[in-house]
Amino acid sequence: MAWKITLFVLMCFVIVTGISFPIVLHPTSWREFPIIPGLEEKAKIIFFHVPTAWLSVVAFLMAMVYGIKYLRNKNLDDDAKSSAALQLGMMFSILATITGSIWAKFNWGTFWNWDPRETSIFILLLIYGSLFALRSAIDNEDKRARLSAVYSIIAFLTVPFFIFIMPRIMLGLHPGSLEIDPTTNKVVQGTNPVVDFKMNGSMRLVFFVSLFAFTILYYWMWSVRSKAIIIKENLSKKIN
Amino acid sequence: MEGGFLGFLEKNSIYIVLFIVLVIWSGIFLFLLNTDKRLKAIEKELKEK
Repeated sequence: MAWKITLFVLMCFVIVTGISFPIVLHPTSWREFPIIPGLEEKAKIIFFHVPTAWLSVVAFLMAMVYGIKYLRNKNLDDDAKSSAALQLGMMFSILATITGSIWAKFNWGTFWNWDPRETSIFILLLIYGSLFALRSAIDNEDKRARLSAVYSIIAFLTVPFFIFIMPRIMLGLHPGSLEIDPTTNKVVQGTNPVVDFKMNGSMRLVFFVSLFAFTILYYWMWSVRSKAIIIKENLSKKIN
Repeated sequence: MEGGFLGFLEKNSIYIVLFIVLVIWSGIFLFLLNTDKRLKAIEKELKEK
């Protein structure tokens, strides 16, 4: 119970600070965030949009881990846990896409720009979307679990490439992508707001607390979801 | 609108958004808490039978 209260408090902290702390030119107290040129108030999306994208990676990783576990012990409960992680991963990917797209309309001009990160999440949605089609097409529980486990392992191998590598080696709009330096007209490595000094201490604190709080929230949602799937399967076994 | 808390909110409308988001988060939190509790009860019942 203690961790649930911690989650509630941390998330309230993120919401209160992330929404109400003003963005000013020269922050003088910890209750102010610095201005990031070109983003202004819109920089606050980082507290809510990045955690959803982060959770989709965590969820797909967990789906793979429980997939491997299933292949080792052939315990259907592990398949249920893997499936719950897949569902949440898909949900958070869709949320990251929608929130990013709304933001892009106001910062980059259009809802969709085929930026490398947008393209990569689109491909990930296709890859994981077809896993749901695969799962729903097979009636035999063991066969479904085995195929889904193998698929989730292979699918996860593409995730580091799509999330961490591809957006950093191509020209793009997201922070961290390559960009053209307006003064020299040369392609340079873009700045990553998490790593460089555009974010001040309090902004970074709120960002990392947000990542942490969202991860706990994900863990809770995942445990509720997998419990529900396991109960459903046990019940249907009893009835049939 | 006269002064006081409501007047303050009217001038600084971001706090209205803040309260709305806090209410939504509380709702989601209570819903999860409740669902978790119910699932635990069903789990216990299934084990006993």
